[in-house]
Amino acid sequence: MGRNRVGQDQASHRKMIWTIGGGKGGSGKSFITTNVGICLSKLGIRVVLIDADLGGANLHTFLGISPPALSLSDFIKKRVSHLHEVLIPTAVPNLQLLTGAQDLLNAADAKSVQKRKLVRSIQSLDSDTALVDLGAGNSLSVLDFFLISDGGILVVTPEPTSIENTYRFLKSAFYRRLKQSVSSSSVKALIDGAMDRKNEMGIQNPYDLIKVARGMDEGDAQRMIEEIETFHPNLILNQVRSKKDIEIGFSIRSACLKYFGIRLHYLGYVVYDQDVSHSIRRRRPLVLENPRSRASQCVMEIASKLADSHKMSARFKGDEHQEH
Amino acid sequence: MSIKSIKDQTYYEVLEVSHTATPKEIQRAYEQAKETFDVDSLAIYSLFSEEEVREIKEAIEEAYRILIDEGLRESYDQSHFQTVGALPTEEPSEAQEVSDEKRTSLSFTGLSFNAEGEVYRGKALKQVRERMGVEPQTISKETKISVKTLEWIEEEAFEKLPPLVYLKGFLKSYAQSLGLDPQKVIEEYIRFMEESKNK
Repeated sequence: MGRNRVGQDQASHRKMIWTIGGGKGGSGKSFITTNVGICLSKLGIRVVLIDADLGGANLHTFLGISPPALSLSDFIKKRVSHLHEVLIPTAVPNLQLLTGAQDLLNAADAKSVQKRKLVRSIQSLDSDTALVDLGAGNSLSVLDFFLISDGGILVVTPEPTSIENTYRFLKSAFYRRLKQSVSSSSVKALIDGAMDRKNEMGIQNPYDLIKVARGMDEGDAQRMIEEIETFHPNLILNQVRSKKDIEIGFSIRSACLKYFGIRLHYLGYVVYDQDVSHSIRRRRPLVLENPRSRASQCVMEIASKLADSHKMSARFKGDEHQEH
Repeated sequence: MSIKSIKDQTYYEVLEVSHTATPKEIQRAYEQAKETFDVDSLAIYSLFSEEEVREIKEAIEEAYRILIDEGLRESYDQSHFQTVGALPTEEPSEAQEVSDEKRTSLSFTGLSFNAEGEVYRGKALKQVRERMGVEPQTISKETKISVKTLEWIEEEAFEKLPPLVYLKGFLKSYAQSLGLDPQKVIEEYIRFMEESKNK
């Protein structure tokens, strides 16, 4: 698997899969997923929105359509033969909806093979990109899906509770990624222990962890460093009300660099706008209902950045094909 | 930068600037770092222990003290990197990226950090409005300020503007409709107007 700047793992030929997660319920993940998806589709990119919110899947409501009769479960349980049969068309050209992904992520026995099967199923869809709303969940399945996507996007509001939950999510994803990269069972156990700040080993932060791991298995410590250097989650700050709020995004980026050693990509921010709640109440996506509102402009700016990385990725893939 | 303890980081890494950073960039990076690790900063909430924050703040102050002083910086570079040729390969500077992003991609709503210290004179307000794609008619409808007055404000036709007390009210409403800081807009606009009149 290759790597890219804004994403994490990038497989060779596939479409871009972005996962939107972290933070806290109500931070605006579904709003951003829907509206960014619409903006991308307006830019000519074929988009599938995927609802995997364990807490309450309702992307259809954001799009103003009735609860869909068909979902991913119908495909998994072989009630339909092709995945594209469970795609719900929307009124927006280039935009389709897939619901029911949460059923798979929620399954207590969701094994990594099933998650990879889900990714492969998404990859097989006839579209250019997929945006997956993971909701505010923090389960291992959600973390894994965040990690195996091309780019994980954290949506946070400038409030202590939202930031705290985002860091909790990021820490869990970060340590899970490290754990998946090492082979020694003792180092795996060490990583599990390090998650608890009150651990007996005195490991306070990732730097301490690497130091202790180095004494146990030099190869694993090196692999962990490589994982840290290639882990670039993305951040969107939602409901900002002032310049100071916008700058919190830069501060979060700096704090992540100092604490985790990771380079977080600040994708952008969305201003607090009364039009957002009005549009949700009317079940009409903001970027369609009021494209000139300030929040719409912010969403469009974020979508443009994703579209750019989509183009870069397509170019990268083209180069790869030429090389082979 | 691979993961390092704050004690092992170079002063450049502490402030997240490149080795070729100008004093202005160092100053900005220092202010940004101080804000990030301020006791009330939301960005560090729940991530660092008090002890870690204290250590980082000390490192930021020390890095700034050395890098902002030309002589001390030169000695530091010599002792740490021996010769200029031994300086590590430049990576895109975090602080430079921040500064660029604040000026460009994050400026479209007018809420952005005014990195260049641009004064909110009429032309600047017009620029922000146009960037937002909003017509004067829309602002007029929202604020109840006549389109003509909005144009005079933007064109800096000071002689045609209403008395100060009304102008302040108009500037406040106009700034709010653009999502700008009303106090800052009023202060800077009036100051610019008075300076222009005195010329």
